[in-house]
Amino acid sequence: MRFRHRRTAAAAALAAVAVFGLPACSAVLGEEESLVDAASMTVGVKTDQPGLGLDDGDGGITGFDVDVALYIADKLGVPADDVEFTGVTSAEREEKLISGEVDMVVATYSITPVRKTQVTFGGPYYVAKQDVLVRAEDTDIRGVRDLEGRSVCQGEGSYSAVRITEGLGIDVQKTEAPSYSACIDSLREGDVDAVSTDNLILAGFLAEDPSAFRFVNNPFTDEKYGVGLPYGDVRACEAVNKAISEMYQDGTAQEFLETWFGETDLQVVTSVPQFEGCV
Amino acid sequence: MSERGTRARRWRGTTPARVRLLTLTCVVAVAGLFGSAAFTLNQARDGLSVLGDDAGPQAMATTKLYLALADMDARVADVLLMGTDHELGSGREDALERYGNSRARANEALLQAASLTEGDTVEKKNIRAVLDGVGAYEQLAAEARLLNDEAQAPPGRVDEAALEPYRRATRMMHTELLPKAFNLGLDSSAIVRANHEERQEAVGLGLLWVGAVGAVAVAALLGLQLYLRARFRRRVSVPLAAATAGTVLLTAGVTLALFASGDHQRDAKEEGLDAAMALSRAGAIVTDMQADESRYLVDREMADNYQQVYLERAQQVLFRPASNLEAYYEAIDEVAAAYPDLPGTDGSDPDDPGTLGYLGQNAQDALLPGQEDALAGVLESYNALQNEDRALRSAAGSGDLAGALDIRMGIAHTEDGAFQAYETALEELTGLHVGAFTEGIERGDAVLAPWTWLLPVGALLLLVLVVLGVRPRLAEYR
Repeated sequence: MRFRHRRTAAAAALAAVAVFGLPACSAVLGEEESLVDAASMTVGVKTDQPGLGLDDGDGGITGFDVDVALYIADKLGVPADDVEFTGVTSAEREEKLISGEVDMVVATYSITPVRKTQVTFGGPYYVAKQDVLVRAEDTDIRGVRDLEGRSVCQGEGSYSAVRITEGLGIDVQKTEAPSYSACIDSLREGDVDAVSTDNLILAGFLAEDPSAFRFVNNPFTDEKYGVGLPYGDVRACEAVNKAISEMYQDGTAQEFLETWFGETDLQVVTSVPQFEGCV
Repeated sequence: MSERGTRARRWRGTTPARVRLLTLTCVVAVAGLFGSAAFTLNQARDGLSVLGDDAGPQAMATTKLYLALADMDARVADVLLMGTDHELGSGREDALERYGNSRARANEALLQAASLTEGDTVEKKNIRAVLDGVGAYEQLAAEARLLNDEAQAPPGRVDEAALEPYRRATRMMHTELLPKAFNLGLDSSAIVRANHEERQEAVGLGLLWVGAVGAVAVAALLGLQLYLRARFRRRVSVPLAAATAGTVLLTAGVTLALFASGDHQRDAKEEGLDAAMALSRAGAIVTDMQADESRYLVDREMADNYQQVYLERAQQVLFRPASNLEAYYEAIDEVAAAYPDLPGTDGSDPDDPGTLGYLGQNAQDALLPGQEDALAGVLESYNALQNEDRALRSAAGSGDLAGALDIRMGIAHTEDGAFQAYETALEELTGLHVGAFTEGIERGDAVLAPWTWLLPVGALLLLVLVVLGVRPRLAEYR
């Protein structure tokens, strides 16, 4: 990222420090580098999730996460032209944020207590729920407990099925596929009975083919999608939270949700989520 | 023109003129020292009073809004659960009375929040939304209660018709009201932080000025001293030497006082206010969490969901790796037993993230020496709450609804319930941090207080000394 000019007060202070040689005072004055002062930024998003972050084949990435990132960047004073998007996978999010390769991550990034030890999270900008997608004609699966003995597909390295087996004590056959799009293909082919993950991710797939699948609509966990920021950047975190509040107040969030998931029967929440807090 | 000009130039070159010029420089420098010191001391005092009297207490009040709202929803669920048995636990009357109290507290907190957020539209809109929402929530809650009463629902079996408005009410509470209330609390923390940092920065800048002007004053006084010594072949002028020493002392004194008050202010904010607010968030979340037990019993269809939400909230309050409640109970038992050590923090297992959350590492780090017992008490009562929860779910799981209901009403009992015990323990710990806050502000004020008279008296004394040092020399020219 590039930076905008610092405030004159800070500059005057630094000059004063240089002139009068009072290095002790620079500790009092020193403002930490923050994304708030950036003139450009690189944002990490997913590239393989329809509706959230998907490579459109022409070098562009589109989706709900991309739109949210652009809105936040704009509120932070970075116009869309100065925002660069780069693809990140789930596994590389922390690493790229810590190394500074990306300045912000908006990539279905669930806030967890463990991740909070490495990343400062703005938001959540949306609270997704874990849900289950089944074939539209499979009408006898009405709740998550009806999955007993059935096969459930999850993406590699995901904990989704564990929440059903260990969390709720329901005995299902777990199968893993390299990605959720592979899971969806298996579901369509009839190789598995259900796909379980966040309802927003499922809704993205559903929007591509609304008549083929349906939600069981039994949301059973909260997945708080946060805006990953470099650890300790409290000023940026507070600014991001403010931007998200505005996004919900001015109706933009509803618009984005409608654009990307309006085709589906997903029950979206159009009220601002409960933030995690910046410190 | 030329004769006059030449005379003026000649006069400027004379010794008395030079002495006067140097004296004037000293006087201006001392006045500058007084001005910059007075200004910076005022900045520091303002910072303390904003934090101590305005922003700090108001932020604390805003944090209470969430607690009050969560408590309202908890009481409604309890009243529905009681059904026709009005004597369960601490009784229906008591629950209704506490509902009313929480409603009043929520109102009060909203008013205070409104006064904290002048002209800030994001927060103002949130406050308005919560105010309107509470009204709508109350209607739904009243409707649920009325339908349940009319249906003469037995304890533990909420009437289907009453369940529908309650579901809407609690959904509204959790998707619209509580998030906004929580965010308002975070906003006020953010305001306090920004305010605090801005003031500290201003004081830091002021400190530089005081140091710089002090150095100039000392240089000017030394210059005058040396000039007099060279010109008049005198030994050291005692008043001027005293003035020089006085300037050094005054500059150093003001600088030290500003540093010290800055430290006290930081302690007040970090060890006091921030820690107290984090703990009151932990209290508010647990209030909502124990109400999830009621909702788990009230709404059997959504029970899995409420159970999962309970675990998630619990992990926010005190985190140990656990994928289900059973594992969580075990882990929390360990935490309570191992304290003052926190499991997972010794680094022996690189995959163990440690004991995190509001009551975990954060609370431990914010502790002041000698406060370990208070945190131990909180952890123990939190563990007791989990044990009760375990019993409740095991009873409900084996079909003993009456037993589960008894446990639930026992937890919520306002005199000797496990939740009350937790609240009391938490209040004690929070109280220690609030005490640290008040003390930090008081100490900061106390450090600055003597300078209200010390600075003007000192500056005046310096001026008198300068005049005393120069007058005898100038008199030689009369």
